[in-house]
Amino acid sequence: MPAVVDRAGAPRRAAAQGRASGPPDLRLRLPADAAAYAALTLIALGGLAVLALWWKDTIGVVGAAGWLTGAGRITGLLAGYIAPLLLLLMARVPVLEHRIGSDRLARWHAHAGRYLVCLLTAHILTIIWGYSYTAQKSVTGETVYVVFHYPEMIKGSLAALLMFATAFFSARAARRRLSYETWYYLHLATYLAVALGFSHQIVNGADLDAGGERLLWSAYYVGAFLILGWYRLLVPWRNDRRHQLRVAEVRAEGPGVVSVILTGRNLDELRAEPGQFFRLQFQARGLRWTANPYSLSAAPHPQYLRFTVKELGGHSAAVAQLRPGTKVRAEGPYGAFTAGRVRSRKVLLIAGGVGITPIRALFETLPAGRGDLTLLYRASRPQDVIFHQELEAIAAARGARVRYLVGPRSEVGDPLTARTLARLVPHLNRHDVFICGPEPMAAAAVAALRACGVKRTRIHHESFAL
Amino acid sequence: MRRAIVAGTATVSGVVLLLGLKPHGGGVAQAAGNFSIGSGTDPSSSSSSSASAPPTASTQAKPGSGSSSGSGSATKVVTGDAADTRYGPVQLQVTFQGKKIAKISVLQYPTESFRDQEINDYALPLLNQEAMTAQNSRIDVVSGATYTSDGYTQSLQSAIDKAGS
Repeated sequence: MPAVVDRAGAPRRAAAQGRASGPPDLRLRLPADAAAYAALTLIALGGLAVLALWWKDTIGVVGAAGWLTGAGRITGLLAGYIAPLLLLLMARVPVLEHRIGSDRLARWHAHAGRYLVCLLTAHILTIIWGYSYTAQKSVTGETVYVVFHYPEMIKGSLAALLMFATAFFSARAARRRLSYETWYYLHLATYLAVALGFSHQIVNGADLDAGGERLLWSAYYVGAFLILGWYRLLVPWRNDRRHQLRVAEVRAEGPGVVSVILTGRNLDELRAEPGQFFRLQFQARGLRWTANPYSLSAAPHPQYLRFTVKELGGHSAAVAQLRPGTKVRAEGPYGAFTAGRVRSRKVLLIAGGVGITPIRALFETLPAGRGDLTLLYRASRPQDVIFHQELEAIAAARGARVRYLVGPRSEVGDPLTARTLARLVPHLNRHDVFICGPEPMAAAAVAALRACGVKRTRIHHESFAL
Repeated sequence: MRRAIVAGTATVSGVVLLLGLKPHGGGVAQAAGNFSIGSGTDPSSSSSSSASAPPTASTQAKPGSGSSSGSGSATKVVTGDAADTRYGPVQLQVTFQGKKIAKISVLQYPTESFRDQEINDYALPLLNQEAMTAQNSRIDVVSGATYTSDGYTQSLQSAIDKAGS
């Protein structure tokens, strides 16, 4: 039913957003990264507050035991502060997802997770060593004593073991051997670890035994779990009931590339924007247990959403077999790869391979005047170019330019060099640039753009490489 | 990788700096002032006679009556004020023989948490030993037991003051 695609490709919403309606509104706006810097500042201030707590409660650091126990307390407090932060970063809070971007949140989560494991190690070693000094016991004896006799320390030790196990399985070497699903569900153990670790902090934490501090700390933990439950369980469940998404059509776009068109009710309430993605969970055999990210490949429509994916593994192959009517659980929309990042009059879009998916939606809808919008589309084989007719139609309607950079690297060389880009796109440094494609291509493009004098803040690139 | 090294170095130096900025050694007890003396907590010990508010202890002889004749130096038991610390009060009972500290018993010390008990099981005997040797309250803080040391010296000093008056 081609009519579906046509309608999905020419939505009312996009028209309302200013499709082909002249130059963008460039009123004074905050820098695109303002939200990210604000969030980082807030996180840092929280860390300082935690250190201040220790400072306030400590009158002196005396002897080896004092130094060790002090270090153990500081690292313990910081670890206790970061643990709920890890949950919050992954809680899919809409404002964070839209303003900061899911890719950046995931990267922060990974960095903070590694940092947490280091802090935890330091905390355990210094506390036990310090305590063993004070009690004049052997380190082994003190370890046994702390684990089995201190209150809530069995839970605390279990929490640490779960954290270390997750760290082990997340390490790159181990992760390559695990399927994404296995890794994902193992990772959920960290939620349990954060919960288990809470009670030993409250009971044994020298800085958390007073009323006010204890209350704040508890509120922080409970709040983190509430936010997590709200956005990851309740909201998806509610959206499920409200929108009742189903597969309307699956169609092949090119070799191994399929578009999935979903239909549902009140989809305009989702307020999805071109360039964003959803995590879709198809209620079909082999797909039920994973929520994979799917980018919108057309501007959203009140009744239809079109996604396009490339078959990369067994999962995506099963998507091609989906039957119309299959129920879909959707989380989203997510992502900050949207028109909201544009700060210049001119926009350049660079797509590599199936990275055309969100770029196609942006090409259709980004506010830009005639002649201000350019698309560079890199593919290694002519048959890998998808949406050819759609792109031509959009380009003609909007007065935009499309350039196809097709051919294997061995024949055409690397087309994304500073020299080529400068030749293809005049006034390159006056553009906002959106890049989506395989990681090496995107990295090469970013380097070339930087060499051409494009500011870092003008380069928009979603990277899910951790 | 570079980021990891920067974060690691920053954290380690930050922690060391924080710890380094805090006072070390014996000056701690005097430097700190976040407790009050004489909060009159009931020692709830066996020596109920000395638990009452008047500072004069259960004396067997008048203090300082000049005649320390031979072996007959006066023995008196003074209860020091309870010094409130962050983790609970510390209160001592000091037995003087003349001007000499003959015995120190700890009437109360923080026992609320497990950690308090573990610290004080170790720290209090050490503090007693130090005080007996020094014969005054200018004693070193026991490592890892800063607050207890603090309360200990305060209570000890108050007992000495009372005995002298």
